[in-house]
Amino acid sequence: MDLQLTLNGKRVVWQAEPGENALDLLRRHSLSSVKWGCGEGDCGACTILLDGRSVRSCLLVAAQLQGREVTTVEGIKEPAGPPHPLQTAFVEKGAVQCGYCTPGMLLSAKALLASNPSPSTEEVCRALDGNLCRCTGYQKIIEAVQLAAGRMRD
Amino acid sequence: MQNAKICLYPRDASEAVRILSENGKRALILAGGTTASANEDPQVTILVDLTRMGLDTIEWEKGQWTIGCNVRLDQLAQHPGLAALYGGMLVEAVQAVGSTPIRNAVTLGGSAVQVFRWSDPPVALLAMDACFDLQGPGGERTLGADAFFAQHPQRVLNPAEILTRIRIQESEEDSGGAFVKLAKTEVDLAVVDVAVRLICSGRRCTDLRIVVGATQTLPWRAQAAEDLLTGKRLGGRAIAAAARAAREAARCRDDVRTDGEYRAEMVEVMVRRALKMARERARQQS
Repeated sequence: MDLQLTLNGKRVVWQAEPGENALDLLRRHSLSSVKWGCGEGDCGACTILLDGRSVRSCLLVAAQLQGREVTTVEGIKEPAGPPHPLQTAFVEKGAVQCGYCTPGMLLSAKALLASNPSPSTEEVCRALDGNLCRCTGYQKIIEAVQLAAGRMRD
Repeated sequence: MQNAKICLYPRDASEAVRILSENGKRALILAGGTTASANEDPQVTILVDLTRMGLDTIEWEKGQWTIGCNVRLDQLAQHPGLAALYGGMLVEAVQAVGSTPIRNAVTLGGSAVQVFRWSDPPVALLAMDACFDLQGPGGERTLGADAFFAQHPQRVLNPAEILTRIRIQESEEDSGGAFVKLAKTEVDLAVVDVAVRLICSGRRCTDLRIVVGATQTLPWRAQAAEDLLTGKRLGGRAIAAAARAAREAARCRDDVRTDGEYRAEMVEVMVRRALKMARERARQQS
């Protein structure tokens, strides 16, 4: 099928099998920030934003992306611009160790801050409840999200 | 769905029904897609994405909530009006589902029709006695919750028939409700779910529905427990006796999370807990 979607702000038309896994499709098109973790909707490494909402791309098929807006980490900053405030905060707070969960964490955090610019610690935890990290113990990630939230409000 | 060649996007329920009746078992419905994406049925050559046909709003009119089949769980969780519906039990049930990205994808209609043993929202829908509007080749019909969940809804629905709306009566005065889930972690599937809806007159309970989920294939009403309390005052001893009756009626499965014996014990605990919560909420209402 001709799959038309808005990927990171740009209209694209891809040839896709309607039933193919959306995560496979994105990686085939070099969106390598979207990670294959569990493939069963548990770990959140494959998180994308679909019309602004965080969803698991491993639990979507290509046809569901038709006409939708898809955001991956490749698209959260201008190509030649500085890193997104969340990216900067993750670096500064040491919220990245192996980095495999980081793209999913960034997107879930971005979706949270779009609807709630001043989240409490509990709200950050709730928004990231679908993203597993096996390195950092989450504390630094939560601190990074709140640091970025403060800078984005200013 | 490796053999799927096309995806169709019906613009309304009539078009969806027509596509489904023309294509029979070749067609696979997509709603949130979280379970459809694992479908490996080689017969499936056509995908039918129901999410483009509207039916994605939550409306209140004349004492009744009408929820379109395409309303996602995150929409329900954030809806301010539903927080007061029978103690907020529907919000509690949808918040209990998995994690944020799952709730951002799963639809209430999909969760109801596709009900798995561990599905949380159907437990609350059965306890609230929701009505299910269906549309099929033979026209429209409405089923009460007891009929909709009498067997698996996919067998209750006729071929090419779809669920379009779920309707819930606004809670009456002196009513309460609660949904409680026992799971190993915040995002894990349920070991036991319980939903309770009660309506009181003064100190007496005049109408009661107790629903248990995650113990067997479908959510089920603990009618022996309901009978013990209906028409009675909801004292601690009566509640404890009803919870024991629910446990005795429970046929609990073993699975990878826990065994049936533990599940049965937890049915008693969770029924007791839900009844007490619902009672307190009903008292706050009156």
